[in-house]
Amino acid sequence: MNLIRGFVTTFKYLFREPVTYQYPEQERPFRERYKGRHALKRYDNGLEKCIGCALCAAACPADAIWVEAAENTDEVRYSPGERYAKTYEINMLRCIFCGYCEDACPTEAIVLEHEHRLSFTDRRDAIYTKADLLDPPSDGVPDTPQRVPPGSFDRSIPDMQNPL
Amino acid sequence: MTENTVTLHIDGTPYQMPEGMNLVDAARIYAGIEIPIFCYHPKMEPVGMCRMCLVDIGFEARDRATGEPVLNPDGTPQVRWGRKLETGCTTRVTAGMHIRTKTQAVTKARKDILEFLLSSHPLDCPICDKGGECPLQDLTMRHGPGTSRMAFDEKKRLGKHLPLGDLIVLDCERCIQCARCIRFQAEVVGDDVLAFHERARSLQIISISDPPFDTYFGGNTADVCPVGALTTVDFRFGARPWEMENIPSISPHGPVGENIALGVRLDRDSGGVKRVKRVLPRQNEEVNEIWISDKTRFGHHFTLSPDRLQTPLLRKRGELVEASWSDAIKAAAKAVKEAGNRVGIIAGPMMTNEDLYMLRGLAGHVGSRKLGVWPPNLGDPDPVAEVGIAAGSRLTALGKGDAVLVIASDLEEEAPIWFLQAKQAADRGAHLVVANMRTTKLDRYAGHVIAYDFNEGVDVLNGLTAAAISHRWTNRSALERVNGYDELTAALKGTRQPYKEAAEAMAKARNLVVFVGDDGLDPEGHTALLRAAANFLIITGHAGQLNNGLVPVWPGANTQGAFDLGFSSENTRAMLKNPPEVLILAGAPAAADPAYAALLDRVETVISLTMFHNAAAGADAPTTAVVLPIQSFAERDGTFTSAMRRVQRFYTAHGPAGQSLPAWEAVGLIGERLGMPRPPRSSALVMQALTEEVRLYSEMTYPALARVAEQFPPIGASPDFYGGATRSAAGGTGIAWPSRAEGRGKLTVKAVRAPEGVKPGPGELVISPVRRLYDRTPEFYTATLMHGRIPEPFAAVNTADASRLGIANGDSVVVHVAGAAVHVTAVVDSYAPEGVVLLPLYLSSEPMPLVPLAGTVEKITEPVPAD
Repeated sequence: MNLIRGFVTTFKYLFREPVTYQYPEQERPFRERYKGRHALKRYDNGLEKCIGCALCAAACPADAIWVEAAENTDEVRYSPGERYAKTYEINMLRCIFCGYCEDACPTEAIVLEHEHRLSFTDRRDAIYTKADLLDPPSDGVPDTPQRVPPGSFDRSIPDMQNPL
Repeated sequence: MTENTVTLHIDGTPYQMPEGMNLVDAARIYAGIEIPIFCYHPKMEPVGMCRMCLVDIGFEARDRATGEPVLNPDGTPQVRWGRKLETGCTTRVTAGMHIRTKTQAVTKARKDILEFLLSSHPLDCPICDKGGECPLQDLTMRHGPGTSRMAFDEKKRLGKHLPLGDLIVLDCERCIQCARCIRFQAEVVGDDVLAFHERARSLQIISISDPPFDTYFGGNTADVCPVGALTTVDFRFGARPWEMENIPSISPHGPVGENIALGVRLDRDSGGVKRVKRVLPRQNEEVNEIWISDKTRFGHHFTLSPDRLQTPLLRKRGELVEASWSDAIKAAAKAVKEAGNRVGIIAGPMMTNEDLYMLRGLAGHVGSRKLGVWPPNLGDPDPVAEVGIAAGSRLTALGKGDAVLVIASDLEEEAPIWFLQAKQAADRGAHLVVANMRTTKLDRYAGHVIAYDFNEGVDVLNGLTAAAISHRWTNRSALERVNGYDELTAALKGTRQPYKEAAEAMAKARNLVVFVGDDGLDPEGHTALLRAAANFLIITGHAGQLNNGLVPVWPGANTQGAFDLGFSSENTRAMLKNPPEVLILAGAPAAADPAYAALLDRVETVISLTMFHNAAAGADAPTTAVVLPIQSFAERDGTFTSAMRRVQRFYTAHGPAGQSLPAWEAVGLIGERLGMPRPPRSSALVMQALTEEVRLYSEMTYPALARVAEQFPPIGASPDFYGGATRSAAGGTGIAWPSRAEGRGKLTVKAVRAPEGVKPGPGELVISPVRRLYDRTPEFYTATLMHGRIPEPFAAVNTADASRLGIANGDSVVVHVAGAAVHVTAVVDSYAPEGVVLLPLYLSSEPMPLVPLAGTVEKITEPVPAD
């Protein structure tokens, strides 16, 4: 009797849709809140959102982030305001994908995106540089550094809504 | 300020504190209660501009008719509170005073002031250099409103990058107009270079000097700024404050021994190694208080400069080529061994006590006594050991009733912190006497300016001493322990006494500090001047008392240490007459003087221990056989002895440049090859051996030097950056060894006369070298940001001499002196005395003598060849 009950279950599942994804040919959609590899975002005009404040590095519990800042000028401008990240590196072997960097960022420049394929054959490859992390500018928008009219980007922090 | 102790009630609790102290300091120091401030600074006069320190002040009521205290029904005194809040920083503690710091009115006032300040303060904290050590940030978190009633995008927009001079950048939006920077420059330094411009919302800090921000202390304004409005070009965006390690260190520039903290952090551009990002002052009230000069602050770039010598060099087939340490040490040891006791050593100004000890040990091993000090123009330092400023003295203690004499020194150029402290002593009422053959900036603050002719400094001091003797301004009890007083009296009989008032003020002063420099002096003159100064201090009874004594303005950071360990300038000069076979140049730029450049060619072998392989260090001399790269102060542990005889310890901040080693280790390796015991494994052990051998230094072990004396007022950075970004004294405040006068033994006075001096022939002038703060030595010139502040090579010629020679201001001239030809621009004014040309040292790479000599100045018409 038990034997029959077992076969019934097996038989029932034969007609259900399988849950297996044929990765990598077929990819499973991610939840919106999934925390994958970081990306450094840009404004619509192509300027980098990151201002090199290193608050992400300060917030990082795994000490995975390394930032060095330098000064923008209107002739050579990477980001709004005076400061930009000259060096931005994340050691993905150290990163625990907690997302504190995202929370700490005053300009919403760093976002944990859905990229999850992080494999290396050398420890040094685990260090993602700014070039690896920065999103490419959208079509028709110039890359950084840009030459901008004097005085047009004097604020590092974008205008924000007062939450109250 | 009176020293009466009174009771002050803060929030109902009684505290004992000295009367007359201002409320902010008193509450913080004696009660541990914070009264928040922005504009007040413990080292400056209160102005009450920011209104952040508002408190509720009341007095115990007294009956008008009887004068009796009015009591509450429960027997406590009735307090009449003020109708409005008052600023704590401008109110002084008096008896019967009550204050409240926690009432609703006070809390609201603080909140309102912060809201007002923030209404025009940008949201720059993430990119601001001050973020993380910012009083405005901290106080907003503690006392400020949680939310803003203002719309963020309606804030004022002002200039965010306005350079004030070459070194400081102003951000107008961030400025909260506390005027700390203006007051620092005007009150503390006396260089009135900053000012407010316009009024109200247009109020802005501007520089009113030409060139802008023309001062040697500008970096301190960025420290005292309570927001990030003033930033230094050197550090701008270099790192966040919390990312740096602050390594306690000592300034390698000049004799003051300023206590500093090196902020180090890993740096990608330097190949991922640690490097110095900024230099901050470290509080030491007995040395530099909380200030440092710009040379110390910005002159750190030599520590990891690419110009540094990276590997040992060895002469092979006539060429200096890179070699391994073992080959270089082998070659050096071989040369020393062959020379036997005919080895001479010249130790430079940045050699630490450990290095000098090992050099001395090496010389002792081969039986040589030729231990020379660079520069070679200094006299006999014995008066410093006898009557040097008493251990534990503070220049900040000098005030009304005290006197300061500065002779033959331009303190601003030679020891800027002492300039600042002498000036402030004069501001507090001390009688400042400045004696020099030329005008210096300190003259402005002097009660007496004694302008003497070239080489007459000794006569001036003898005249002062003679006046003190003949008017009986001497101290009877002090004279009991003096040898040679009668001989001195006899020798000074009939000496002219033209400066009686100055002599009286100094002799009768409660405390007397005498700064003696070497301006316009040859070694004999310097010896005589130091002795003459000691005579005056001894007979007037000042020698050996706290806050009294002699301060020699040595040229180097560790010149005093070299003297203490048996090195002398005299030995250096003796090598000219009797050249050694092997000459070890230990960080000594000897070829910068033509006589010594010639000496390098006359010895058989030169072994150079140097940070920079340049002409001054003997790179061009064909006799230079071995060049060993040594480490700078930031790469190693060590100790410097300041000219106030304070032994101070510095710590390793970052890794070495190339293969360089500490000089003591390099010397120890040479010694090991000569059969000496293995060198100690750390500089702590070297110092340990030194303390066992040198009596003066018997206390100066590393653990003892790391002890921190209590600082008052306690204003080192944490916890809330009360006095600016200055660090606390952590790391050690050093120990000064006591002078002989502080003991009980006999003191000796000895009559001295001015030496012959330079006698210029017909058509000749005296060419007198002077030291400038900013020069082109590699230890400073590697700080490229300072290039604009370093003067072009010049010579100051007196107006009368210039018109006789047909030289106009700005002419290119060549100064011929002692076989050297120095190409400079003539600066014609009354700055130089007649018959004397002042030739600043190290402004060009051309060698020039370090002592005054006769020479000629000649106008040239063709342009100066570039070097």
